[in-house]
Amino acid sequence: MKKARFLGISLLAVLAMFAVACSSEEEPTSTPIPEPTATQVPTVVSTPPPARSERPTPTGQAKVAPELLQTPERVGDDKPTGGVFRRLWADPPTLDPALVTDGTSYAIVIELFSGLVKLTGESDDPIAMDLAESYSVSNEGKTYKFVLKEDLKFSDGSPLTASDFKWSWERAALPETESPIVDEFLGDIIGVQAIIDGEATTAEGIEVIDDHTLQVTIDAPKPYFIAKLTYPIAFVVNADNVTSGGENWTDDPVGTGPFVLKSYSIGERMILSKNPNYWGDPAYLDEVHMLLAGGSAMAMYENDEIDITGIGLADLERVTDPEEELSKDVVEVPPSFSTSYIGFNVEEAPFDDVHFRRALNFAVDKQLVANAVFSDLVRPATGVIPPGFVGFNPDLEGLAFDEEKAKEELAKSKYADPETRPRIVITLPGTGGSPSLTTEVVADMWRRTLEVDVEIQQVEWATFLQDLHRNRLQAFSLAWQADYPDPHTFVDVLFRTGSSINNTNYSNPEVDALLEQANIEADPVRRIKLYQEAEEMIVEDAAWLPLWWGVEGKVLVKQRVGGMTFPPLSVPIYQYVYIDG
Amino acid sequence: MLIYVSRRLLWTPVLLFFAGLFIFSLSSITPGDPAELMAGQRADPEAIERIRDRLGLNDPFMVQYLRYISDAFKGDLGESYRYRGRDVVELLAPRLKVSLELNIVSYFVTLIIGLPLGFWAAMRQGTWKDPTATTFMLLVYALPVFFTAPFLILVFALWLDWIPVSGWSGIFSTQAILPAVTLGVPGAFVFMRYMRASTLDVLGQEFVRTAHGKGMGHMTVNRRHIARNALIPIMTILGFSLAGMFGGSLIVELIYGIPGVARLSLEAVFQRDYPLLMALTILGTTMLALANLFTDIMYSVIDPRIRLRA
Repeated sequence: MKKARFLGISLLAVLAMFAVACSSEEEPTSTPIPEPTATQVPTVVSTPPPARSERPTPTGQAKVAPELLQTPERVGDDKPTGGVFRRLWADPPTLDPALVTDGTSYAIVIELFSGLVKLTGESDDPIAMDLAESYSVSNEGKTYKFVLKEDLKFSDGSPLTASDFKWSWERAALPETESPIVDEFLGDIIGVQAIIDGEATTAEGIEVIDDHTLQVTIDAPKPYFIAKLTYPIAFVVNADNVTSGGENWTDDPVGTGPFVLKSYSIGERMILSKNPNYWGDPAYLDEVHMLLAGGSAMAMYENDEIDITGIGLADLERVTDPEEELSKDVVEVPPSFSTSYIGFNVEEAPFDDVHFRRALNFAVDKQLVANAVFSDLVRPATGVIPPGFVGFNPDLEGLAFDEEKAKEELAKSKYADPETRPRIVITLPGTGGSPSLTTEVVADMWRRTLEVDVEIQQVEWATFLQDLHRNRLQAFSLAWQADYPDPHTFVDVLFRTGSSINNTNYSNPEVDALLEQANIEADPVRRIKLYQEAEEMIVEDAAWLPLWWGVEGKVLVKQRVGGMTFPPLSVPIYQYVYIDG
Repeated sequence: MLIYVSRRLLWTPVLLFFAGLFIFSLSSITPGDPAELMAGQRADPEAIERIRDRLGLNDPFMVQYLRYISDAFKGDLGESYRYRGRDVVELLAPRLKVSLELNIVSYFVTLIIGLPLGFWAAMRQGTWKDPTATTFMLLVYALPVFFTAPFLILVFALWLDWIPVSGWSGIFSTQAILPAVTLGVPGAFVFMRYMRASTLDVLGQEFVRTAHGKGMGHMTVNRRHIARNALIPIMTILGFSLAGMFGGSLIVELIYGIPGVARLSLEAVFQRDYPLLMALTILGTTMLALANLFTDIMYSVIDPRIRLRA
């Protein structure tokens, strides 16, 4: 009796799950973001728009509404204060800065907490002082001395001193905090590793000189260390708040960001309100409402229940029609600093053969896919580091499409004989039902040019993650977004031998040597050169098939909303948003 | 009777034990590791191992299950994996309240349309009105939610701008109208059919003829003799369908952005939030068992010829 209905329901359930799935765990800021599938280029309905969004990149392809180009200025401005900004969001997995690794949490945590330094979202000057007034580097690049701003306060009004930073960082490293990334972000500081291992509770590398001065000593002169301090794990938390709040201290967090958490009912709504004790320019808005129960985003937007939404494929044509009233609300979101790729597990046949991997690279006409499938919303990637990012190499040509070369490389490889050639399985995360168009097209090009046997397999995120960690995937489709503005976040963490995120198992002693040198090179120009050299080798070795750099998108923003920015790396944005009328 | 009911009630925990065991064993068979999900893609293996240890995921399967059962007996259903530090009960309770409200108000819509319409159709058996009404309701019943919901949103929220399209603020708010209609109206067909059949049954009974023969007014006969008797069998299906309806509200909750159990349970599946899944299983099983029992009891109350033997 209920069969027909059940079928429909399950179909929709699958769709809904897809929205749920990609809203939260598959769009981590720094960790893999879903590759640009046709359904994802314009944000999927009922998914919160991507956490990161941006200002125009130097590549300058994006047309952005004029008010978005301005760097928000507070001095003597006459922007209206007050009002509420409403948007769909998803429940953050955590609000504890020490535990954040995903984009959904990240975007909220950076509004509530802050650190010594912050990201600006600008390409040429990516890092700015935040709670620190200034810092100096000595001891051949191994000692950082931070001077804090005067009269800093937590959101509850209590004073903030250098010892709060020491406490916060040491607390982040404690085994019982269970931070999954402390190793990578704070592990360079002398003594932190001992805390992580449970052998100590304080780190001698973090010294409180006086209330306003914090001195940090790291194990080697690593210029990218300062960049890593922009990540939430290096933010300051309030010791009283954390210890008295127990495991649920983030229910009522005391922070230093432009906003405070006013209320949070799980699955329903989260309300951020202006932090009265914020050191900098106070927010224009009174409150930001994050609606967490989902719903039909587009309908909610049109019914004036939310102020921003992504545009589903089904609505794209309608809302971009100049006749349509809604078209005035369309804002183009320039690409973020991310690279999507198909990773090859170089320990698995047939990807253990460099010629075979190169053949796969040469066989794909990315330009054609970008034009025909994505209407040029994506930019074909030739390397690992995206344009506009520190260390981007415009001269890197990569393994550009060349059918002849592809065939030559295949002939050179040990899998030249189609009879003995293993079949390829590309795995991608997701629950959408229809696999990504990109992967389909790429697989098809491989089949045609190289006559390889390719299968695409889609598994949901939990399974994907486990298989990835266990090295069970032969080839996988993922994207990587920068964590901090330094080439280290791409070239080193993804390709160095032994890095925990080196999912391709790529290992090249020459690359390792270059990276080791680059990681402690004091001369910035030489340092970038070293990373670029390493990048070039990686590209030549074809550990990846780099696909796209960033994805442009379109969102709708109500016209009464001003000051909305879309930076390529996640930075606090609501501070500058105002409601006009 | 009392013995029967208490026996049935005593069986419920046994049922729960096995239903729980089944779900719990799925957790060890299905791919995907809650600790890995909590730590994220970039976590180092040591961090994942620490989380596994804390959650007790490294213990043998039966040890984990027995620990769960013994905690559950003490009223502790555990902490959610996805929402660190949150009691499962604390997470579920507010959502459950919303889902219940939604289901009750939809049920009300179902009954208020289905029962009178069924009665009405039965009284017009043999005319064109009866098949027309039945066919129309069948059509409504057959329409999938993912068609009706957007359609209703478009008409009543966007074009007419009468009601909001998302959220929930209790049964008596305008936000409840669209979800209740979406969920309740299709179900009315089922009740209409039952009511129609049962009314036709009653119509053929002798006491109806007698009542008419006594010269009672049509309205009085309809109300006192026909409708009342026709409702009796309907009672038996009430309880059961209430339990079944719970699953049906899932999609409606997602479409209208209602903070019910739907999103929570979907997340629980994808995030491998086993404590939450277990709680949902226990809840669902209990509800079904109770509804089943209720139905059986209703049978015997309504028709004394049915004996419940212990």
